[in-house]
Amino acid sequence: MAYLSLSNISKQFGDAVVVQDFNLDIEKGEFVSFLGPSGCGKTTTLRMVAGFEVPSSGQIILEGADITDKSPNQRNVGMIFQAYALFPNMTVSQNIGFGLRIRKEPESAVKERIAEMLSLIHLEKHADKYPYQLSGGQQQRVALARALANHPQVLLLDEPLSALDAKIRVSLRSEIRAIQKKLGITAIFVTHDQEEALSISDRIVVMYEGKAEQVGTPFEIYNFPKTAFVANFVGTLNTAEAEMVDPAKGIIKMDGVRFESANQVEGQRKGDKVSIAIRPERFSFASEQKKANVVDCTIENITFLGSVVRIQVKIGNTKFNMDTFNNPFLELPKIGDKSQVTCSREAVLILG
Amino acid sequence: MKFVTWLRRAPLWSGFWYLLGVLYFVLPLYATFDFSLRIERDKIGLLAYQKAFADPGFLQTFVYSNVLAVITILVGLILVVPTSYWIRLRLPEARRVVEYVTTLALVIPAIVMGFGLVSVFGAPIKIPFTSIQLTDSLLNSPVGTNFIVVMGYTVLALPLMYRSIDTGMRTIDVRVLTEASQSLGANWFTIIVKIILPNLRASILSGALLTFAIVVGEVTISSILNVPAFSPYLWLLGQHKAYEPAALSFASFLLIWASMGVIQIVTGGRAQAAGAH
Amino acid sequence: MAQTALPASRSSTSTGGAGKWLGVLPFFLFAILFLIWPSARLMVAAFLDDKGGFTLANLAALFQNQTIVSSYLLSIEISAVTALAGGIFGFFLAYSVTIGGLPKPLRSMLITFSAVASNFAGVPLAFAFVATLGRTGFITAILKNIFGVNIYQSGFNLYSFLGLSLTYMYFQFPLMVLIMAPALDSLKNEWREAAENLGATVFQYWWHVALPILLPSILGTMFLLFANSFGAYATAYALTGGSLPLITIQLRAQISGDVLHNPSLGYAMAMGMVIIMAVSTTGYIWLQSRSERWLK
Repeated sequence: MAYLSLSNISKQFGDAVVVQDFNLDIEKGEFVSFLGPSGCGKTTTLRMVAGFEVPSSGQIILEGADITDKSPNQRNVGMIFQAYALFPNMTVSQNIGFGLRIRKEPESAVKERIAEMLSLIHLEKHADKYPYQLSGGQQQRVALARALANHPQVLLLDEPLSALDAKIRVSLRSEIRAIQKKLGITAIFVTHDQEEALSISDRIVVMYEGKAEQVGTPFEIYNFPKTAFVANFVGTLNTAEAEMVDPAKGIIKMDGVRFESANQVEGQRKGDKVSIAIRPERFSFASEQKKANVVDCTIENITFLGSVVRIQVKIGNTKFNMDTFNNPFLELPKIGDKSQVTCSREAVLILG
Repeated sequence: MKFVTWLRRAPLWSGFWYLLGVLYFVLPLYATFDFSLRIERDKIGLLAYQKAFADPGFLQTFVYSNVLAVITILVGLILVVPTSYWIRLRLPEARRVVEYVTTLALVIPAIVMGFGLVSVFGAPIKIPFTSIQLTDSLLNSPVGTNFIVVMGYTVLALPLMYRSIDTGMRTIDVRVLTEASQSLGANWFTIIVKIILPNLRASILSGALLTFAIVVGEVTISSILNVPAFSPYLWLLGQHKAYEPAALSFASFLLIWASMGVIQIVTGGRAQAAGAH
Repeated sequence: MAQTALPASRSSTSTGGAGKWLGVLPFFLFAILFLIWPSARLMVAAFLDDKGGFTLANLAALFQNQTIVSSYLLSIEISAVTALAGGIFGFFLAYSVTIGGLPKPLRSMLITFSAVASNFAGVPLAFAFVATLGRTGFITAILKNIFGVNIYQSGFNLYSFLGLSLTYMYFQFPLMVLIMAPALDSLKNEWREAAENLGATVFQYWWHVALPILLPSILGTMFLLFANSFGAYATAYALTGGSLPLITIQLRAQISGDVLHNPSLGYAMAMGMVIIMAVSTTGYIWLQSRSERWLK
């Protein structure tokens, strides 16, 4: 049986259905991200696991025990908030030791655990500082330590990095992942930043308008998106309108240009209008190596993005972005040149 | 939801205190209103109000206090608005000092204030350290006395007026507004009259109404300086009449309520207190 | 636009430097003439004897005069009592409409009424309480006719310490509400949730987190309430007519030359009052700035 199981969870506020029929089984030690735009229900679902919201229907089972109706202070889950939520009237040590002291653990055990946590987050020297004396990143690490000190069964993180500077965000997310792996603790991480989710999760749940659109590993979500929303939300994407020519062979025509796709959507018929999507990095120049699809194009624009060079090409009447790695010795075509680009059959996604 | 869950969530504790608060507020007001209606035995009527408003003493003192209130408001605004503006724009160092002054006005109770005013202005005005007399004591003439009284009222109202205007200036960020206006080519007059003042309407109104409440309710300085103000009249009335003072008290409550209501509306909920006097 | 300081030499100021202080001159002139000088006059005069020499005799006389000492004590007592009671009552009221979860319209009504009540002090308030708890007052009558309790027979008297305290409460607790409501608003929800998440009950959250955070604000405001009550004159005089010898009433009598026939004593009394007010107000300001460290 799964370590943490959410079955048929729904949540309604008045007439608004915020979470609909959410199902997920999480294994022990897994790091799962809830990824989606604002208002998709990811935070509400997390808060239901924490106990701050009560599901309108459904069950939450943790290690075999039904915790759906338990109040937040009786669950053994640790929560990290976006705004850190450190108690301003207590020092770092006192914050970390709060949960243990509430449980009336013996003082020696508390002190030991605090020291353990402080070394885990590398803030031993700041033990007696107050939150207002710490930076955002440091405060969030203390919040992490405070939640972990209690030996929680699950760690819940509600957009913990959103309030931090870009650089701190990147280093802190690796640190969080490293600590999670080291302790083998189960974690649910809520974010709207797809790069965050992709880089540290074992699995991702992409959510939209209260529903789970797709559940899978980062690799699966990125390369094999199941719906138009997932394809658009995760990574950059070229999309275009096309017409189905031969459903069995996966042949479509976009602006008169013929594409062959290895991905098929059920129930397509000849003449149906479909959306196709191709990731920019799946295109390359036909002069290098020819793959299944070879199409004529005109060079529209070239943008230097640092490690990536983005070349905008016009295929038929539609503009496509092609990403290629930067290479100082690369000979790039000029704007207005006619050229040929190629991509594999698997690269052409057909979205319903 | 289970009953216990509902019980935990329903704000019964809050409701209890709120009810207590409502009772404490409302009962004295109701009592006053009820009492004011009973001037005629066995009959409920507004006769007490009629008699109170018809009394020439009432009209005299009420008008007097109102006029002085308006003057006080103007003096207060003329003092506070430019100063507050200047501090925000040019002289942030003065902020501390100005705030000390307004705190001082809070620290000195009205009665000490009145005492001080009498001490200083009850004597003839001399050039300091000489015996050259410029004028007779200001308090010897009605004009002089009224002048000192208005100054006293202004001091009493100063902390509130300043806080009101200052908050308003901070909210509309006068610095940015001024710089934007200047970059668009506006001169100082246009900036102040067309941009700053209209945006301060709520704060000005708020400060004005608070000052009004203070002046009309002021007894201490008014009685020390012996001016025909409304509240001393009300007190005197209470010495030999019962129903009319109650009527006037209730009427003044309504007046204050209207003023505070207006303040609430224009400031969107920012409320201020004048404190006791 | 990059942050640039407003150049002092822009537009009309050819004076720059010291000339900047010209703009605040009217304000300071007013303050000196009508606030600082009159107060200073009294303070200085408290240290002068009949011939204009420095003396501490006036202040000493304060402590020797039993009437005056007991007046101070009485004023301090009533201020402390109404500050504490008003503070507690006001706190729970502010709590009820913020964290306590009562609907928003109730909150705006409470704020409006608090603003009204705290401005209602003085003569009308005294009359209102006479109409409520006086011998023929509304509540007195209800208690007698419906509950059979005659409070005046049991020794209650509106024109007493208790009666005046109850009257003072009318403007004390609203002031607490007006100041505490925003303070309670700044108690972040996440603190409570974090505490709950770590296993704390509601009581433990309040005891370990919320009250310690709010304490500077609560205490500070009580200091303000104390000063508010200590300096009040009109309400007391209108209600008790001078029978309760508060220090403000004593001072008023002194100004009229009624009782003590000793102007120096009056100056000393005023000085004592200002010192007490200053201590209380300083306490308020200091504690407020402490609370802002955590709440803002």
